[in-house]
Amino acid sequence: MRKVGVVGIGHTKFGNLSDYELVDIMAYASLNAMEDAGIDGGIDQVMVGNMGAGMLNHQTGIESALVSTLNLEPAMAELVSNGPASGSSAFKMGYMAIVSGMADVVLVTAGEQMRRITGWEATDFVATLSHPEVEYPYGLTLPAFAAMFTRAYMAKYGLTERQLSLISVKDHLNAEKNPFAHVQLPVTMEGIADSSHASVVNSYVSEPLRLYHMCPVSDGAASVVMCAMDGAARFKKKPVRIAGIGSATDTHCVHNRKDPLDLKAVRLAAETAYKMAGIGPKDISFAELHDAFVILELCLAEEVGFFKKGKAIEAIEKGETEVSGRLPINPSGGLKAKGHPVGATGISQIYELVKQLRGEAEKGRQVKNPKYGLAVNFGGFGNNVVATILAKE
Amino acid sequence: MYKIDKNVYAYRCPKCGQLHYPAPMRCKKCGYRRYPEQEIEPNFQKEGYKPWEKTPLKGSCKLLTYTRLWNLPIGFDQRYLDFGLVEFENGIRASGRLLVDKPKIGMKLNVRVEKIKEFYGKVCYGLQFVKP
Repeated sequence: MRKVGVVGIGHTKFGNLSDYELVDIMAYASLNAMEDAGIDGGIDQVMVGNMGAGMLNHQTGIESALVSTLNLEPAMAELVSNGPASGSSAFKMGYMAIVSGMADVVLVTAGEQMRRITGWEATDFVATLSHPEVEYPYGLTLPAFAAMFTRAYMAKYGLTERQLSLISVKDHLNAEKNPFAHVQLPVTMEGIADSSHASVVNSYVSEPLRLYHMCPVSDGAASVVMCAMDGAARFKKKPVRIAGIGSATDTHCVHNRKDPLDLKAVRLAAETAYKMAGIGPKDISFAELHDAFVILELCLAEEVGFFKKGKAIEAIEKGETEVSGRLPINPSGGLKAKGHPVGATGISQIYELVKQLRGEAEKGRQVKNPKYGLAVNFGGFGNNVVATILAKE
Repeated sequence: MYKIDKNVYAYRCPKCGQLHYPAPMRCKKCGYRRYPEQEIEPNFQKEGYKPWEKTPLKGSCKLLTYTRLWNLPIGFDQRYLDFGLVEFENGIRASGRLLVDKPKIGMKLNVRVEKIKEFYGKVCYGLQFVKP
């Protein structure tokens, strides 16, 4: 099988980019990735990750629009959509295009623009991922599912709201040093948990989850150039190898899972990626985990084998997941603080893996001598998950 | 997308008896097909096809988890809504509205079907979980 690597990365600021067109945002990230790779053309295939341009921007065919604005015709172009895991799925499709021999150089760009609409509409947009008959009409949203999951986890393992806030503080500390982060604002335990005014600053969104337990609604895009490793020498940057990719699905309806706390698709996707890479959880140097809700940083870390069920919080309390810790998690700030333009997140995670493995992360958030990085991109409420492992060559 | 039937049903596979909610197009246990109630393709009245039994979701259930959602999507004017995930005595699980003052995981509840929303003038019905 052909080996594939990433030779270029690009990213826009995450935040409110509502003055720009979505395709222009994606083009900006794409050109940054191409410049990073040292190319201005020669792309065989463009894969675009996006969840909701048709609904949010009233624009379809963004893959063709992107190719045209980048002047990359006649490159092949496809749109890949997998909810909040669209970015990683597009990356997987790009990888498959190279492995199959259909392409040698692929540009994978993922983006989303969610701030042109109201918060009510954005909440509704994401909720359309849920079951159209037995979930969505009730007013159930993704934060509501995450909150019910959190409540069940708390009842089983004794987790507290205060402990959840520790994850938030750690993520914000990392995002403060990330120039692309939506929220570059450090938060303290006093501010969001330990003082009398904390419950006002950090009010409930869906009990027991509070504002600082959730990601912001963001615009943004990220992009990578990938190529066959045997042709990587002609690019400006040394390739970061794609060591493993796995993905798996679970029941659409959350209530149909045998154990409401079992994130089976996460576990299966990670196992497949580990097997392909020929490594295990102990070999991972750092991870970017899909913490749209901070409970997911905890539970994904357990499902991918870093910690036993119910034990991840102990590692977080000991500082093991900080940038300087034994196993840094979300050195980018995670979705929690870096932001979550849903379709863009998967490629933003890959961007961070490449940056860290190259040793190019900003001062104060560079992981020490990383060898393998793991990204987990969580679609729906865990019903379509992609895990990716990149390796330093 | 919106139910206007004032019943919410589980569907029983006629071949193996497995209950499903919502209705699948194939039985999760034995793979037996379910055809839609209205004809959408020529094989609808397939010889030997056994229709699936519709069983209204009713009776008592147990609360597995719950939340109070303060940030509602567009179309809901309430300040907040309470939701629960329950398990019925027949093993079927469902999400729905929770109408209980002090919810507690494991508490026994009853289910009823009531209006949950109006959509373009149509009343939409759904599950509400209440104290027995």
